[in-house]
Amino acid sequence: MLGRVCAASVSLLLLANLPIAAAAAQRRGPPPPEVGRHFDDAAHKAWSSRYRPLPRSDLLIVNVRVLDGAGGKLDGSVLVRDGKIAAVSGGTPPTPAGVQVVDARGRWITPGIIDVHSHNGTFVAPLTANDSEYSDVSETSSPIAAGAWVEHSINVQDPSFFRALESGVTTLQTLPGSIPLIGGRSVVLKPVPASTVAAMKFPGAAQGVKLSCGDNPRSFFGSKGRAPNSRMGEIEILRALFTRTRSEKHGKRGPGGPIDAETIDGVLTGRFPVHVHCYRADDIATMMNLGAEFGFRITAVHHATEAYKIPQLFVENGTCAVLWADWWGFKTEAADAIRANAAFMDAAGACVAMHSDSPLMGQRLNVEAAKAMAAGRRAGVSIPPERAIRWLTSNPAKVLGLGDRIGTLAPGRNADLVLWSGDPFSVYTKADMVLIDGAVAFDRSDPRRQPSSDFFVGRPSGQPR
Amino acid sequence: MGSAQDLAVVHARAWTGSGAGPVEDATIVVRGGRIASVQAGTAPPAGLTVLDAGGRNVTPGLFAGATQVGLVEVAGAEDTTDEAVSSGKLGPAFDVAPAMNSNSLLVEQARSDGVLWAMSFPNGTPNSPFLGQSALLRLGGGSIVVRPRAAMFVRIGGSASFAAGGSRAAQWTLLRRALTEAGQLGSRGELPPDERLLGRYDLEALRPVAAGNMILAIQTHRESDIREAIRLARELRLRVVLVGGAEAWRVARELVVARIPVLVDPGANLPLSYDELGARADNAAILHRAGVTVAIIPSAHGIDMNYNVGVSSRMAAGLAVAAGLPYAAAIRSLTLAPAQIWGAEGTTGSLEPGKVADIAIWDGDPLEPGSAPSHMIRGGRPISTLTREQQLSRRYAPINKDDPWPPAYR
Repeated sequence: MLGRVCAASVSLLLLANLPIAAAAAQRRGPPPPEVGRHFDDAAHKAWSSRYRPLPRSDLLIVNVRVLDGAGGKLDGSVLVRDGKIAAVSGGTPPTPAGVQVVDARGRWITPGIIDVHSHNGTFVAPLTANDSEYSDVSETSSPIAAGAWVEHSINVQDPSFFRALESGVTTLQTLPGSIPLIGGRSVVLKPVPASTVAAMKFPGAAQGVKLSCGDNPRSFFGSKGRAPNSRMGEIEILRALFTRTRSEKHGKRGPGGPIDAETIDGVLTGRFPVHVHCYRADDIATMMNLGAEFGFRITAVHHATEAYKIPQLFVENGTCAVLWADWWGFKTEAADAIRANAAFMDAAGACVAMHSDSPLMGQRLNVEAAKAMAAGRRAGVSIPPERAIRWLTSNPAKVLGLGDRIGTLAPGRNADLVLWSGDPFSVYTKADMVLIDGAVAFDRSDPRRQPSSDFFVGRPSGQPR
Repeated sequence: MGSAQDLAVVHARAWTGSGAGPVEDATIVVRGGRIASVQAGTAPPAGLTVLDAGGRNVTPGLFAGATQVGLVEVAGAEDTTDEAVSSGKLGPAFDVAPAMNSNSLLVEQARSDGVLWAMSFPNGTPNSPFLGQSALLRLGGGSIVVRPRAAMFVRIGGSASFAAGGSRAAQWTLLRRALTEAGQLGSRGELPPDERLLGRYDLEALRPVAAGNMILAIQTHRESDIREAIRLARELRLRVVLVGGAEAWRVARELVVARIPVLVDPGANLPLSYDELGARADNAAILHRAGVTVAIIPSAHGIDMNYNVGVSSRMAAGLAVAAGLPYAAAIRSLTLAPAQIWGAEGTTGSLEPGKVADIAIWDGDPLEPGSAPSHMIRGGRPISTLTREQQLSRRYAPINKDDPWPPAYR
């Protein structure tokens, strides 16, 4: 998995993290309220965020083309005060006292990119031979790693965080891998330089729970002579686990012990967003049915290469399809991927987000969206830029339960935004300036605002800019 | 009289692969399946079938400089892949050409995404550092192998060293010894069989490499390994091509002097291994400025290198442009440069008289990965760009959503 050329296997290792669609049609109407916000409770105070915004000043960015992330597009200005968006307006308003003016000279501005499927911090560059023996991506000693929290794996010096920031990512979710059926809890991070994971954690963001379906769990454990070794075995194990947890009042004696039970109980009571790794339409529907049986909603199905076959199930369940633009064929369950998946899902009224699963692609989700838009256009579904930008901003914000704080440029929202060198959907475009909570975390024109990982300090073959 | 392989493309914005800029409003005349002329603003000869490009960008059919298209179907299912051998006796004699599958969906997808030529290389043998012999492909139906045993591939570096006992020094020693033995085959200095590193078949496969008649493609990244490759090429008088070369920018001048070309991935701007600590996005731009012949390959994911090689090659070239590579050089890095590197420039790689008329007409900027060919021409004949993926899309297109019959009836 280390060589470039063996990279198919690198991808396979990662590709385990998708969500699933469901079959239950009974949950119509608006999606349920965002979950998990309250979970930063006293019991978990020890693990709560210690993030503090970087030093910042108030900014008025003028002469800018705005894609606001909510479907709007205008030429005008964006006012940032106290780390929040204060105003988005057409034309150039008067500059309030004490506000610094940035002339964008017609460049584009969007909300910060949100990647809901990253392995940054656990799939740490550079990889070594050790990573092929054991990694920090998944706890693979058991198919039920519900009690594992991926934040306890994070290496904050992973250069991939810095590359993500430079390319306009302002929020990312690191998910556990897809080898276990229940991979454990995710963590939502800001790609800001820090010495502890707590200082990167998005304050108040819910942990998500990762579930897997299909090939990965059965092939990994099955090849070791363990359970599950079939798809039906996977669902059998999950149903047995959920049934037991539900029947034991608070689930404190679940089969994996109290730590697993705490997570499983959180799934069954809707406390956690549920992220399912899944490819095929039939598998996705099976996982949605599992949610229906046990009364939880699947927040997002990741990879979902066959989502386009069952768009209504996503709409009815209020489940988001978290997609690549064009990955296909590397495993049998990914055979039917189509490039118009995102456009078809969007046209059906489903929530769509683009995801990376890779530290390289995690730097170019905007180009992924461009490819998906172009494929849609060729297949008869045109999605304009102001709508497609939602795949990278407001929709992934919703998936994380943070839709009222990030993902759109509206008064009161966090000032997470990117000033692009040009059309954000072009391969030639770069993030010129990246703001997180109103602070300039990266500025391509200012070497003092270009953080780099400790890993590179003093290395003779390090990366000059 | 015109034949089925005669054609004129008019009103083309022609990026020839060899020029520094486009030929605007070009007329490309094809006769007998070959380029006859490319001229600005001329009327096509009477009697030719005319294809109006309407001002769109036109390039040579792209050349994927290092891929495993034709050898891989479902990477996750071993019985559908032929790119490597993990047991048995074969080393340098491992020749992938007999396995090449022209009906592979990956071949179809590559063609639809603009690729008509490819170097498809093996991924390993039990005999480190030898990966085996690659094949030069022209993508179409029927037989796609243009030249079997086109180059000998080796891989040297940290992650590849285990098969040689755990040290890259051992890999270099084995390579050097094997080439020396191959050069001595049949001569007075020939070692007795029981003292040789490799069996006779393997040594015979290596013989043209040792004689300087076959390209030795060295897949490696670290500066020290690139310097060793240069030294080996000089001392044994080999034709060496560097594949990967994450730290090649540090050795640009030496590569120019040694006339060693490089196939690089501009998208790989992270050190994915300790061999690639110097990885940077402007590697291709720096090498080009220094005068190194540079081809661009997407290598970082198997997805990019194989399944989406057309789209990912163009994205990689676009990223190289964003990092400072001139646009025409980026086009060249996907056309003429790989053709030159692999010794096919007499046949393909540019829109120049005498070369095969393998042409892509684009619906946008070819280096924007969202663009696609509107037409592909192979040997002067328009070919289909229809893929299974597109047919699945049609089956499930939103326009059908009120059809009461399941999609399987469409």
